[in-house]
Amino acid sequence: MKGSVVNLARSAWKGPHIVPLPISKALKEKVPIRTNARSCTILPQFVGILFQVHNGKEYVSFKVTEDMVGFKLGEFAPTRKRFKFSGSGN
Amino acid sequence: MAINILGKYIRAKYLVSEGLFKTFYGIGPQEASKICARVGLFPKMRMHQLSEQQIMSITKELAGLTIENEARNVVRENIAFKRKIGSYSGIRHLLGFPVHGQNTRNNGRTAKKLNKLNRSG
Repeated sequence: MKGSVVNLARSAWKGPHIVPLPISKALKEKVPIRTNARSCTILPQFVGILFQVHNGKEYVSFKVTEDMVGFKLGEFAPTRKRFKFSGSGN
Repeated sequence: MAINILGKYIRAKYLVSEGLFKTFYGIGPQEASKICARVGLFPKMRMHQLSEQQIMSITKELAGLTIENEARNVVRENIAFKRKIGSYSGIRHLLGFPVHGQNTRNNGRTAKKLNKLNRSG
């Protein structure tokens, strides 16, 4: 876990920002968690669960690995598309 | 005239702490003045006033720190880690854009220069 990522942004007495999510159900039945809570901190209990996080348009799916603990869910669902020139469009 | 420390030439008229943090990547003003205190130099000492023995002991202090390419590699590893897990910050480094939410319509020159996967500065 990257300590600084959490520590710099938030006072310690609050603890991580937690949103109620159906984690036990997802672990048992192996179903993805579909959520709009982009600001939810990734906890060690989330490792191995498939998430579908809203990016404003659609749900981006990714699997949480051990390295991602301490980051937010929204950091892995980018909200902007890279600009490209196309022949027919612009 | 210049003083040679670890293969780097430092201007003789610099203060010792000033010369150290301006020359070596990974050393700031605080760390430089700490080094001077540990070696036992008075704070206003200039580079040309150093004796051979004092230069040797400064070199010895520097050898124990992560400076120059080692320090650059630490930064590169952190960026590579963020890219590997696919976080927003890693993607912004890949594209050469600012990471902390700055505008990109104008400006953003520093990010374009520095934010790379294989960061040089």
